[in-house]
Amino acid sequence: MKQSITINGKQHEIDVDGNMPLLWFLRDHLEYTGTKFGCGKGLCGACTVHIDGVATRSCITPVSTLADKKITTIEGLSENGDHPLQKAWLKNNVPQCGYCQAGQIMNAASFLATNAAPSEDEIDMAMQGNICRCGTYQRIKKAISDAADELSKEA
Amino acid sequence: MTVSNVSRRDFLKTASIATGGLVVSVALPQSALAEKGIMQDSAFNPNAFIHLQENGDTIIYCGRCEMGQGISTALPAAVADEMDADWTRVTVKQADGNEEKYGPQATGGSASIRRMFEPMRQAGAAAKYMLIAAAAKVWKTETENCYAQEHFVFNKVTNQKLSYGQLASIAANMPVPTKPKLKAKSEYKYIGKHLDRHDQGEVVVGKRTYGVDTKLPGLKYAAIVHCPVLGGKLKSVDKTAALAMKGVSAVVEIPRFEVPFGSIGGVAVVADNSWTAQQAVNSLVVDWDLGENAIYDTKTYKQQLVANVEKPATLASERGDIEKAFANASQKVSATYTGGHLSHSPMEPNASVVWVQKDSCEVWASTQSPGDIQKVLGQYLKREPKDITVHVAMAGGAFGRKFKCDYVHEAAVISEKVNAPVQLIWTREEDMRTGYYHSINAQHIEASMDEQGNVTGWLHRAAFPSIASLFNPSLERAPADSLGEVTNHPFGIENFRAESGDAKAHTRIGWYRAVYAIFYGFAFSTFADELAYKAGKDPLSFLKQIYANNNNEKQQENVKRSQAVLELAAAKAGWHNRDELPKGQGIGIAVHYSFRSYVAMAVHVEVDGDNIKVLNVDCAIDCGQILNTDGATAQMEGAVVMGMSLAMSTEVSFKNGAVVNSNFHDYPVMRINDMPNVRVHITDSDESPTGLGEPGVAPFAPALSNAVFAASGKRYRDIPFKPISV
Repeated sequence: MKQSITINGKQHEIDVDGNMPLLWFLRDHLEYTGTKFGCGKGLCGACTVHIDGVATRSCITPVSTLADKKITTIEGLSENGDHPLQKAWLKNNVPQCGYCQAGQIMNAASFLATNAAPSEDEIDMAMQGNICRCGTYQRIKKAISDAADELSKEA
Repeated sequence: MTVSNVSRRDFLKTASIATGGLVVSVALPQSALAEKGIMQDSAFNPNAFIHLQENGDTIIYCGRCEMGQGISTALPAAVADEMDADWTRVTVKQADGNEEKYGPQATGGSASIRRMFEPMRQAGAAAKYMLIAAAAKVWKTETENCYAQEHFVFNKVTNQKLSYGQLASIAANMPVPTKPKLKAKSEYKYIGKHLDRHDQGEVVVGKRTYGVDTKLPGLKYAAIVHCPVLGGKLKSVDKTAALAMKGVSAVVEIPRFEVPFGSIGGVAVVADNSWTAQQAVNSLVVDWDLGENAIYDTKTYKQQLVANVEKPATLASERGDIEKAFANASQKVSATYTGGHLSHSPMEPNASVVWVQKDSCEVWASTQSPGDIQKVLGQYLKREPKDITVHVAMAGGAFGRKFKCDYVHEAAVISEKVNAPVQLIWTREEDMRTGYYHSINAQHIEASMDEQGNVTGWLHRAAFPSIASLFNPSLERAPADSLGEVTNHPFGIENFRAESGDAKAHTRIGWYRAVYAIFYGFAFSTFADELAYKAGKDPLSFLKQIYANNNNEKQQENVKRSQAVLELAAAKAGWHNRDELPKGQGIGIAVHYSFRSYVAMAVHVEVDGDNIKVLNVDCAIDCGQILNTDGATAQMEGAVVMGMSLAMSTEVSFKNGAVVNSNFHDYPVMRINDMPNVRVHITDSDESPTGLGEPGVAPFAPALSNAVFAASGKRYRDIPFKPISV
């Protein structure tokens, strides 16, 4: 019997070589192109998704290791694009080219889930693995703080 | 400039947009195309388009390429402003490659706003006056009795109103005004304001598609390996292992394209997904004839450049009598500065989809130069450029790299061979190793000062393989016009000489965000700071004095505006109170004029041993009228980050002719934990607008060097300050 994984709430059979990184299973097989290829070595964070809620570099994660796991990609982070981070990203006009931002948002979402009121240093520490070549870091920091503030109001 | 009706039927035929709309095209003046440099091959007969539908929905096409610089918000908003359109009713679409229709599309040199601001406003204003004329016709009144506002035309006499949608089909038959009156600055609604980017909503949900995201039925996926040395050739390739892999359908040899920006050739593998293609490329056993550039070693090459600038070199320009100035000097100072090759490394590696068919060729690409793709593929396929359809995708960063579309040429070759649409994505390693690199460089400056600390003479030698080597690989050194920024620098120095040191290219050199301003800006502003200390002067006053000494009438505007941004950055950074900073902290300042914009930066650092922490950056800009304040601010924030990467850590090294770096572990671009607090200060100006994509990068590195010196007494003259060994 073939293994399956759940992506954004939908079950998919793993009908590819089990060594294929999740990134390419998402992009080329399922055509979920929101998750981006940046380096292929887990160095830049552009491919970040959640595996059972934990931010993971999909470019170095073989699909065979993901049987019965729940995957969330940027397309599934919120139903209506209204996750507090997505709203904060809009409010701060964070993206320039935007290519790295799905990875940034996914990484930040997993981080905020474990640290609802992060300090600036903690944001730096958590987000170090995500490169933005356009240089939107200042706004990313601000947007994460804003989202944390909103989450604390909701709580 | 002229404005003309486009036949609506023709337009609808080609663009298949709903009927009943108003379409306006604008012809640009020929002079707009007569720029020197990168735009020289652009064709004439441009058009920009507004498409207003009967329901009032409005599409504004952006002819310039978007790569994150925000041009597809700034220019369409200028159209909407003059049109008195409601921005919330506007959808921005990226125009396909078609320079006859949209004007010059090759996007670089911070030229989009400078060249297109006026024509885009004309396009918007023409549409507005046609809508007003249509309303006047309906109301059987004079146009003077009508005015436009927020997607409506109002009748001043009767207080009636008609929506733009209602007027669209009538307006389409109105004559196009030849010189529509443009708004005064005070009347702007969107221009000069804080505008949100039009596409942010799509970005945050992962729906914004880039060149790398194109999907088509029957799409094949390809990966490629190039010869590691420029000019090398394929000797043999053993494809056995690759072809034996499940999912691999072909191995394709890519020829060298003998055109500027052409592919250098390589070997590609085609598979049913990118990962398999990448694995298969790695399994190829390729034997290259590396050719004569296999001698290239940047460590020894840089030493040679230094030697070449520390002795007399080839004259590029001269004024006054430098020997006399040096002989009469009260003080003489000299220093040598160096910099390494840089890789653009946008987050989206080179990628495109090409589908070559018998009667068509369609391209979906992240590109800065769709016209060049049309030209090169037209030549390759022996078709007319207009028969190559280029869909310009959002580029996931570009910084000059995607001006050169070798990756698209390669996808076309593969598509033709396998008779299917092909997506070619370069791996990060190929992107790093097959670049068009920013020049490695050395500069040596000698200056004389009089007793009052005025600079009386300046000898500036620069040696770097120039971009001109792309077009003429036999060049022994940078031609004099590549030292134009040195010759025309607005410092006021009476006795001056610029010389070009020998520097033959052994790799491809290309425009990188800010181009030569990176190293010229570094040398000018760092050396000026060194001179200030030698003269015992405050660096800010010293800088202002060098500008004040400029007696060239043609440069008085440069002088005034350079001084003004310097003052602004200094004031905002607390320059005048810097004596109160804690020990180990310091502020450095630099200014650079490039791409017709002025940027000054004051950088505040904390230095502890070799550890440099940038705390604040105050960035003052004068780029004439601003289109989008938030966009301008973002460009400067980004320029600081790119400036910090190149100042601190990034350098591409070559050994045995090949690039040593491979990925972000050994090309360590700046990360979030080094982000300083950046404050951007925009000069209010009525001058014509100029671009901001490039000019922000240059002043950062010298301001940082000056700040570190102020804080610690240590002078960095080589960028990156902290190269990592690879």
